[in-house]
Amino acid sequence: MNTPGKIKAVLRRELRLMRQRPVYLIASVGVMAFCMIFFLTLLRDRIPHDLPIGVVDLDGTSLSRNLVRQMDATRIGRTVSFTSYTQARQAMQTGKISAFCIIPEHFYDDVLAFRQPVLTFYVNTLYFVGGALSYKDLLTLANLSSGAVQRELLRARGMDEQSIMAQIQPIVTEAHNIGNPAADYRAFLCGALIPGVLETITILVTVYALGSELKYGTSRHLLEKAGGSMSAAVAGKLIPYTVLFTSLGIISTVIMYVFMGFPFAGSLWHMFAGIFAMVLASEAVAVFIIGTLPVLRLAISISALYSMLAFSLTGFSLPVEAMPSCFQGLAAAFPLRHYYLMYASEGIFDAGFGGWYMHLASMLLFLFLPATVLKRLHGAYMNLNFPRK
Amino acid sequence: MKRIARYLEHWIHDWYRIFVRELKHIFSDSGVLVIFFLACLVYPVLYGLIYSKGTLDNMPVAVVDMSGSHASRKFVRGLDATRELEIRYSCRDMSEAGRLMRDRKVNGIVLIPSDYGEDLASSRQAGISLYADMSSFIYYKNLTTGVNMVMLDEMHDIQRERLTASGYDSRLAEQFISPIRYEDNMPYNRALSYSVFFMSAILLIIIQQTMFFGISMLSGTMREEHRSFAVLPDSLKGRGISRTVLGRGAAYWLIYAAISIYVAILAPRMTGMPQNCPTGDILVLLAFFVSACVVFSFTFSTLIRHRETVFVIFLLMSVVCLFLTGFSWPEHSFPAFWKYFSWLFPSTFAVRAFMNMNTAGAGLAMAEPQLTALTIQIIVYYILSCIAAAVENRILKKDTDTQYSTLSGFAAHSRNAV
Repeated sequence: MNTPGKIKAVLRRELRLMRQRPVYLIASVGVMAFCMIFFLTLLRDRIPHDLPIGVVDLDGTSLSRNLVRQMDATRIGRTVSFTSYTQARQAMQTGKISAFCIIPEHFYDDVLAFRQPVLTFYVNTLYFVGGALSYKDLLTLANLSSGAVQRELLRARGMDEQSIMAQIQPIVTEAHNIGNPAADYRAFLCGALIPGVLETITILVTVYALGSELKYGTSRHLLEKAGGSMSAAVAGKLIPYTVLFTSLGIISTVIMYVFMGFPFAGSLWHMFAGIFAMVLASEAVAVFIIGTLPVLRLAISISALYSMLAFSLTGFSLPVEAMPSCFQGLAAAFPLRHYYLMYASEGIFDAGFGGWYMHLASMLLFLFLPATVLKRLHGAYMNLNFPRK
Repeated sequence: MKRIARYLEHWIHDWYRIFVRELKHIFSDSGVLVIFFLACLVYPVLYGLIYSKGTLDNMPVAVVDMSGSHASRKFVRGLDATRELEIRYSCRDMSEAGRLMRDRKVNGIVLIPSDYGEDLASSRQAGISLYADMSSFIYYKNLTTGVNMVMLDEMHDIQRERLTASGYDSRLAEQFISPIRYEDNMPYNRALSYSVFFMSAILLIIIQQTMFFGISMLSGTMREEHRSFAVLPDSLKGRGISRTVLGRGAAYWLIYAAISIYVAILAPRMTGMPQNCPTGDILVLLAFFVSACVVFSFTFSTLIRHRETVFVIFLLMSVVCLFLTGFSWPEHSFPAFWKYFSWLFPSTFAVRAFMNMNTAGAGLAMAEPQLTALTIQIIVYYILSCIAAAVENRILKKDTDTQYSTLSGFAAHSRNAV
């Protein structure tokens, strides 16, 4: 039999296996669907708003009440009143509020008499997004209220509005967020996490598919179908999964960037090529793992440990530059890292081929991995000489 | 009285037998040992090292100073002096800076327009433009924080100069510049370091997930081999569910008592994470959490029929559980459905209590709502795991009975034929 014929025979056998064992579809389509629904709905607000911010108003005058009203009016925060510092501190320590502000006694009088009263903020820095946003909110508010007092003073001196603004705020900044104009946290997080989900699914399911031949002792039957050719066996087995995972990747990308309207600067077609390369690279890693350790139970545990690390070492949360140098090197051992760099180049900067070809090439380099272990895996498939339990 | 004593003796004897048998199972399974010991030993330290710094210092930035004035140069020097930013390149125009950003040589651009100095000199509002690389939110945060700090300083300097020039004395000028002062306190995590957010959440997730995977792998194996822990000896006449569940549970409890002390107390100490709570309080929290994890894992491992499927299907639940703790996206912004869904997992409550206690120094008394929730989980999941074991016992017994009766029927039939 010629090679295409062998591959076709294995492919037909694999499709039958996939129909017989629902675990393959649950682990790929089911898991991807769940993760998509989870992350897209959990972060549906895009930017958190109405975070509970505590206020201890020890002044209780019209000015302090006005300040509290302004705090309530910001999009990010809503205020919760406390009567004492201890109360507010406890609420923060138990995670009920993400920050609090103390308006001191005689606040109004002190402002009028130019005694420069001090507003005190406490920010709950235990929670990443909530803490950072409430801090920003409180800072803005403090500067705005100083500005409001200055404005009253300048108005009283008869200055016109434009000069007042130039005096209160001599410098203004204008922020352009490249690749995500609205600083949409959902678009940022899903854009990085969903490919991570795809990589994890690809590695686990591939290891499982190749390893269960050993576990159930069906590998000789597989080789028989492949006419004794190991590469035909692996190719035939992986073709249906490659198609499945690539389509999952493309469908999820289309859902996010076309239907949900996440910002994307470049061409999605380029990303489809990236998804295909990442699927191939992840499969290569999977073949390498099961080839090195032809015992399904161990290989799957190792794959699990490996794919969970990818989420950290990709560097979308804490950038890789901020990690110790040995981990900066280790990050390159994950296809997801190269995919993320390619996404940044295409989706954020629209850098085109020149910007991402090396990331694509890095993913394709992973394809050399299986060659190193194919012989060993062939031996294991033939002799079934590794512990099956 | 004697009957009760005999019953107790039996109970303890059975319990002990099951407990020892479970320990033997655990220690004779290399896959489970990899998950229990390798993962729990390595992950906390690995994450501790990866996130050891937790902040991005001196992020490379390009400056396009079209103004070239004294004021703009002062601003640029200010930016370079911040912890967040480092001026890596000075560019002539935006296209050059844009190229650097596309090549990922810089993660932000600060553009000072040509009329900057002139605007300030003639008391007009001057503008500065920022361009942030949004591929990570930390780049964005660093750029805006750094620039805002310098901008506030510069603004105060400018106001001070102008006021002094128009004849105010320095005290009056100060009063005008900040009629209201503020003092910010960011206890627990001054630098907004990512390591504090992440590590406090991930440690307990590691405990819960490794235990769930290990238990599911073991019970999956047993089911594959058609011997289930749920099959009770006939002598018990269908009773003895509690000693089975408690006996097996004690085995995991014992192992995880050691593992969780390492993961949640020793590993953070090794990697220099803040620990602001008496160790005794953390131990109490861990006792609740580990108990809840054991019965949680018993309940959900009922779904696992084959050993390896637990990873293939449930591995990504670890990421889902991590987000459900609210360490990143705030719990207050969860849609109602996911909020209730998060109540299924012991990690949701334990991580929140752990963050509040270990990092914010809240006492055990302040963790009361979370401890109550964990207690409810322990009770509910204990009952559920007993029910699951009883149902599985009945199904398995029925299967063997029918097999037996068909076999004896077949034997009778062949006897007749002969």
